[in-house]
Amino acid sequence: MTTAVKPVKAPNTPPLTIPRPHNVLIVGVGGQGVIMISKVLATLCQEQGFEVKQSEVHGMAKRGGAVFSHVRFGEIVHSPTIPEGEADVLLALEWAEGMRWMPYLRQQSGTFIADTQRIVPPFACRNRTRGARTGYVGETIQTVMEQVENSFALDAMGIAKQLGVVKAANTVLLGALSTALDFPTEAWKSVISKFVPPQTTKVNLLAFDAGREWALGFDRESELRNIKDTRSLHQESTVEAGADYSRVEITEEWCKGCDICVKFCPERCLIMNEKLIVEMAEPELCTGCRMCEWLCPDFAITVHTPNHVPL
Amino acid sequence: MLDQAKTPFEIRDYIRQQLFPHFMCPGCGHGIALRALLWAIHDLGIAKDDLAIVSGIGCSGRIGAYIDANTFHTTHGRPLAFATGLKLARPDLHVIVITGDGDCLAIGGNHLIHACRRNLDITCLMLNNEIYGMTGGQVSPTTSSDRYTTTTPEGNYEPVFDACKLAQGAGAGFVGREMTLQTPSLKKLIQQGIAHPGFSFLEVISDCTEIYGRKNDLGESAEMVLSQKADFRSASYGMIADEVFQPRNVKTGVLYKDDRPEYAQAYRQKIASRAKK
Amino acid sequence: MSSVQNIQGNHACALAAVAAGCRFYAGYPITPSSEIAERMSVELPAVNGIFVQMEDEIASMGAIIGASMGGAKTMTATSGPGFSLKQENLGYAAATEVPCVIINVMRGGPSTGMPTRPAQGDVMQARWGTHGDHPIIVLTPWSVQEIYQQTLRAFDLSEALRVPVVVLIDEVIGHLVESVDLAKMNTGNPVERKWADSSQEDFQPYAHTEDLVPPMPRPGDGYRTHTTGLTHAENGFPTQDPEVANRVISRLLQKLEHHNDLVECVNQSDCKDAEIVIVAYGITARAAQSAKQQLQGEGVKVGIFRPITLWPFPQQTFSEAIANARLVLVPEMNAGQLIVEIERYRNDSTRIIGLNRYDGEPISPQQIFNKVKEVLQDA
Ligand code: SF4
Ligand code: SF4
Repeated sequence: MTTAVKPVKAPNTPPLTIPRPHNVLIVGVGGQGVIMISKVLATLCQEQGFEVKQSEVHGMAKRGGAVFSHVRFGEIVHSPTIPEGEADVLLALEWAEGMRWMPYLRQQSGTFIADTQRIVPPFACRNRTRGARTGYVGETIQTVMEQVENSFALDAMGIAKQLGVVKAANTVLLGALSTALDFPTEAWKSVISKFVPPQTTKVNLLAFDAGREWALGFDRESELRNIKDTRSLHQESTVEAGADYSRVEITEEWCKGCDICVKFCPERCLIMNEKLIVEMAEPELCTGCRMCEWLCPDFAITVHTPNHVPL
Repeated sequence: MLDQAKTPFEIRDYIRQQLFPHFMCPGCGHGIALRALLWAIHDLGIAKDDLAIVSGIGCSGRIGAYIDANTFHTTHGRPLAFATGLKLARPDLHVIVITGDGDCLAIGGNHLIHACRRNLDITCLMLNNEIYGMTGGQVSPTTSSDRYTTTTPEGNYEPVFDACKLAQGAGAGFVGREMTLQTPSLKKLIQQGIAHPGFSFLEVISDCTEIYGRKNDLGESAEMVLSQKADFRSASYGMIADEVFQPRNVKTGVLYKDDRPEYAQAYRQKIASRAKK
Repeated sequence: MSSVQNIQGNHACALAAVAAGCRFYAGYPITPSSEIAERMSVELPAVNGIFVQMEDEIASMGAIIGASMGGAKTMTATSGPGFSLKQENLGYAAATEVPCVIINVMRGGPSTGMPTRPAQGDVMQARWGTHGDHPIIVLTPWSVQEIYQQTLRAFDLSEALRVPVVVLIDEVIGHLVESVDLAKMNTGNPVERKWADSSQEDFQPYAHTEDLVPPMPRPGDGYRTHTTGLTHAENGFPTQDPEVANRVISRLLQKLEHHNDLVECVNQSDCKDAEIVIVAYGITARAAQSAKQQLQGEGVKVGIFRPITLWPFPQQTFSEAIANARLVLVPEMNAGQLIVEIERYRNDSTRIIGLNRYDGEPISPQQIFNKVKEVLQDA
C-alpha cells in the first residue's frame, strides 16, 4: 500500500509479494479501448519488474462485438489466460460484458470495476421487442453491489465529461483500477503519458486522478442506500415461467441458403444443412429475438413467440 | 386506420405467396427492405386495396410484384412520373414508389428533383445497392470509390451522389435514410415517411450480394449486411447505444422534415380561390 | 346565342377532350402544340380535373398513363421532338392496355427541324415509333371541326379498346381558326371504360375475352392486380413461356382488327369510277379537294381516298377503292411515308406515284393539279 492511498476505503488489495500470478481481466465491446487499457497495464507491470502475459481476443473488434483481454503478471507466469474464478480484478468497460464475465472473478477477494455505460450491439441484444424477454443482462448495479463485496460501478464517461474530455473515460477507469493494484501512482502516470497523444497528456492525468479519487472515496454502503440508477435494459419478462420456447418456423422452399440468419442468430441456433437450407439446431437456445426473421431476405423464417408484443 | 395495426404483423398477409420464392439472388438486401415496407404498411393500418405500389426497372423495380396490392411496374426511371399522375387522379390511394439508385438517380434523376420540388404526397423508397444488378453489375451513381464493376475495370473513379442531400435541396418535405440491417428502424422510418403529408424521399442502404459483393470481395451475404454497420459504426466507437450512427460519414434516420404545402392541396386551394373570383 | 364560334384548332382539341370526359392532362410546352396545354389549364379545373405541367415530355406521358391506371380519362399534347421522347411510355401504354390520348401537332423535322412550319413527317413514327409489335390507333383530322370530332373519337376508341390513340394534327390546322358549331358535334355520350366487376377471386386482368378487350381492374375495387410492361400472361404477371407469350401478344395485335368497324374511318369521294385516286390526309387532303374540283372541271375522273383513321391502315376499303384506278397519287408533306404502306396493297395494273415536299410549306392544290396533269400526259 502506497502512502498516496488513503486507507479509508481501499479495495482489498492482495500483496504483490505472493508468488501466484496476479490476474486482471479487462472486457468490453469493440472500439471501447479494452486493448489500450490492457497495454497500459501490461507495460506498467513490466516496468515494475514482473513477468507479464497479455492475451486478447478482438475478432469482432470493428463490429461492436465483444472484446476481452487477459493480463497476468507475477514472478513467473506460464499460462497466458485466466481460468474461471481466478481473476483478481475484473474491469468492465461495458455493463453487460462485465456481467457475462462475472464467473471469472475470484470469489470473495475479487474486485469488480465496471463502467455503467451500456452498449447494446445487435449480437448481445436478443429481443428488441419492448416489454418482451430481453437478452441484455438483467442485473442492475444494485444487485451486483449487493453480491460482490468489492464492487465499483462508476460512470466513467460522466466523470470524463465533467473534465471536458469524453475520450478520457478510459483513463478514468485506469484511475479506478489503480486503487486495486499496488503500484505507485507516479508509475501509472508515466506509463499513461506514453500512451496518450501528447497534447492530451494533461487532461488524461487529471482524468486518472479523478478516477482514482472516485474509487477511494467510494462508500459502498451509502451508495447502496442512495442508489438511483435502478435502470436496466431488462424488463420483466412478459413470458410466463414455463412458457414454451419461441418456435422458429422455416419455409424450406423459400430459403436460398444465403446464411444470413445462421450468422446473425445471436444464440447460434440455426445451421445450414447439406442441402444448403437452413435448419433449427438448438431450439432451446432460441430467445425469440426475431433477428433471423427480420433479416431473411426471402421471408423463409417466421418466429412464433409465446407472447407477441408489437414494437 | 384499420384494426390490423393492433394485430401482429404477418408478412404473408401482404405478399403474393404464389410467386414465392421471389426471383432475387440469395442474400439480396431488397428482400429485407420489402419486409420493412410491408411492416410499416401494416403498422399504419393501410388497407391493401388502397395501396398502390409504383416501381421502375431494375432489381428494385421487380419487388413490387410480390406485394399483394395494386402494383404497377413501369418504365426505367419513370415511376415517379407515373406515380404523380396516379396520385393526382386518385388522392384516395397511398402511392409508394420503389426505385433503385440507377433508376432514381441516373435515368430518373430529373423526375426525382421535380417530384421533390412539387411535394406531392408520395413516398419514394430508393433502394441503394450501389450497382446496376439486373444488367450484370455496371457502375451506378452511388457506386463507392474504387469499387470494381463491369464498366469500371480499374475501379470507380466517379464521385458519388448523395441522394438525400439532393432530395432535400430539391424541396422534398421529408428525407430519411436507413439500412436494411436495422430492420425495425427502417420500418419506423418508412412509417414516418408514409405518414408525412408531402413528398418523402427515403434512401435504403441495401446490398447486392451476388454481383457487387462478389466482384469486390465484400464477403458473403451476412458479412455484407453486417458491414453496413461496420463502416457505419466507426465514428461512433465508444459512444453509447442510442447515439446516431454515422454510416460512411453519412447520417441515418430522419434527416429533414418540413411542412411546406403539399402539391395537390395547394392546387385545389388555388382552384377554389379562382372559382370564388 | 348560337353555339357557332370561331375557334383555333388547338383550342378545339382541348374543348373536345373535356367534352369527352378527359379529367387529367399532363404536358410539356412545345411549339406548335402549347395552346392545347394552355387551354387545358383553364378548362380542367373548372370541371374538377387536374392539369399538371411536368418536368419533361417523358414525365408527361408517364403521368397520363399513371392517371389513367387510376381511372381517369387522360391526354397529353406534343410535337415532333416531344413525340419522340414519349415513345417508350407510349409502348408501355400499348402493352399494358392503358387508355390514353396523345396529340401530336406535327412540325418540320428531322430533329428540332422547323418548329413553326407544317409537315407530315411523323406518320411512320406514329405507327412504329415505339419498339416492338404493338397496337395503336392514329387519327388525322383535316379541319378544326374534325379536330374536335376526332379528339372526341380518340377518347372513345381509347377507352373502348384499351389502346393509346394518337391524333396527328397538321401545324396549319392546329393554328387555323374556323367557325365551328361545337354543340352540334358533341354527342354528349362519351364511351366509358369497361371496368372489371366480376369476382375478385382468380381475376385475370388480361383474360382472353371474346371481344379481345378484357375489362380493366380499377385500383381500390379490390382486384389488386399487377401491371407490367414485361410480357405478361393473362394473370398480369411476367412470362417467358413462348406459348403463353405468343397467345397474349397475338390477342393484343388482333384487338384492333377485331373491332375494325369501330376503328376504321375513311372519307372517300368519287373513288368508285375514278381513274385517278388521290390518297391524302390532313391539310394535304384539303388541297387535294380543291385540285379534284379543278380536275373534274376538266373532265378527269378523279376521286379522293382520305383515311381519317390512318393507322391501322384501312387496307380492305382501300383495295376496293382503287379497284378501277389506273393511278394512285399520294401527296404528302414528307419524303414519302404513307406511300410505302400503300404500295403493299397495289394491284398489278395500278401505278402509284408520290408527291412530296418537306420544305416547311404545305402542298398547294395547284401542285396536285399539275402533278396529275403531268402524269396523265406521260401516260
Ligand atoms: S433462431 Fe432466430 S429468433 Fe431464435 S435466437 Fe436465433 S435469431 Fe433469434
Ligand atoms: S436468411 Fe433466409 S434465405 Fe438466408 S439462409 Fe436464412 S432462411 Fe435461408
